[in-house]
Amino acid sequence: MNENIDTGGLSAGSAGRPVVSRSSDRGRASIRELWAFRNLLRSLVVRDLKIKYQGSMIGIAWTLLNPLLTVAILVTVFSHVIRISVDHYWAFLLSGFFVWNFIQQNVFHATSVLQNHAALNRSVYFPREVLILGAMLTKFVEFLMEFAIVLILLAVFYYQTVPSSLILLPWIVLVLLMMTVGLMFPLAVMAVYFRDVQQAVPIAMMSLFYLSPIFYPVEMIPEAARPFYYLNPLVGLMRLFHVVVFQGAWPTMTLLASVSAVAFAVSLTGYLIFSRYKDVCVEIA
Amino acid sequence: MSVLRSPDPPIQPAVLLENVVKQFYVYSHRTTSLREWFIRAVRRRPIHIRRAEFCLKGFNLRVERGESVALIGPNGCGKSTVLRLIAGIYVPTTGTATTAGRVAAVIELGAGFNSDLTGADNIEFYATVMGLSRKELARRVDQIVEFAGFRDFMEMPVKYYSSGMQARLAFSVAVNVEPDILLMDEVLAVGDRSFQEKCLERLQSFQARGGTMVVVSHDLDLVRKLCSRAVWLQDGMTRLDGKVDEVLEAYRSSTG
Repeated sequence: MNENIDTGGLSAGSAGRPVVSRSSDRGRASIRELWAFRNLLRSLVVRDLKIKYQGSMIGIAWTLLNPLLTVAILVTVFSHVIRISVDHYWAFLLSGFFVWNFIQQNVFHATSVLQNHAALNRSVYFPREVLILGAMLTKFVEFLMEFAIVLILLAVFYYQTVPSSLILLPWIVLVLLMMTVGLMFPLAVMAVYFRDVQQAVPIAMMSLFYLSPIFYPVEMIPEAARPFYYLNPLVGLMRLFHVVVFQGAWPTMTLLASVSAVAFAVSLTGYLIFSRYKDVCVEIA
Repeated sequence: MSVLRSPDPPIQPAVLLENVVKQFYVYSHRTTSLREWFIRAVRRRPIHIRRAEFCLKGFNLRVERGESVALIGPNGCGKSTVLRLIAGIYVPTTGTATTAGRVAAVIELGAGFNSDLTGADNIEFYATVMGLSRKELARRVDQIVEFAGFRDFMEMPVKYYSSGMQARLAFSVAVNVEPDILLMDEVLAVGDRSFQEKCLERLQSFQARGGTMVVVSHDLDLVRKLCSRAVWLQDGMTRLDGKVDEVLEAYRSSTG
């Protein structure tokens, strides 16, 4: 939607009275507009967390318990039944699993978020991007707690000294956020257009779980197949977390730069698709 | 609002719709599965079978600051679409829609409510959706609760409210965010008589303070009480625009 918010020229009559003009030459919600709705973003996150945790006895612990149990099962299976030869396999798994979990949960959520807010969208205007960002930030709050626990576990039982590569964490978490939101944006509008997206996404995510280095390291993929393997944009991202968190080493500049560039491209493309179709989605969701 | 300004700026209308065309598609077949989409794309068949339906065909509306306008007309003539265009919920197919000031739209009462959250939580969320900052909210929350008139139920999830209570809560939020422009779609039919009177009073004081209103209603007596001007829509165009009494008279005699 093309928004010419002109608070300067026309605020003549009264301060802070924005003039908003909308026409069919759609554009994108400006950063300024999103900033104006930051309260809404906060409210969405608070609301979603409240809905999720009220009425459950142990509340937020569920969020942590569920993936930790999954990790326990995976560790048992892959170090005692199907033996994957990685020293400290549990530490390897922990360093990437919650990253994957974050992406997966958000992708699932993206396929229903516009439908869930259809009535709201039809009755109030706000930049629809806020819904996607809010969904992601809600999960991000949980991710931060999970990852904090992971780091504590690693620091206590695994690291001899805390590696300096962890300085890179804020950057690669930002890359993770860009990649995630870039997948969420197009999926959200596609799910409105095509009802079977909601059925297709779990299958796609299950395939991606096996096709990404989550419970096995990249090194186990045959050398010849690796170029194709790396076509999956999540491979580089997972590898980045393994290098920085598990190996405690600095990633090569090539890896870091290429993953960052891909994540940026994915988020930009996703956003362009979303802004192209979001207004129609309000009408048909 | 400061009036101590010179020279006077050109007067900006509160709402300005210029040559607005709004087109919807009516689908006799809409492809909603990826498989079908793929098959149709391969066979070069049209993805959707649909025809364009024009809801508004070059609609113009200028509402000055402080004016109250009613939109009347038969069902499906585009009244609600006009409100959604003003609110920015829909984007015009061609033409422009311009508003000056904070807009609060009450189109489906309680549409933004989450039934599992308490009344207080919903007030906070709904008011934020309408663009209130936290500071403004803190200042007005009391006023909103007071106006709804059931303080004791604020900590109860909205799903246990009666539909009347939900509507009252939604309405209280909308009128208390103190918008510059208030858009209402057939929402005054809510609540009991005393609440309706309270709403009417509140709307009149909103007008007295210089607020702008665009109201869609089939309740012609109410329209007469609230608005000075009426626009009669028919088939996506203005049939008559003028003083409320004249337009209502013409509308009444045409519908018998």
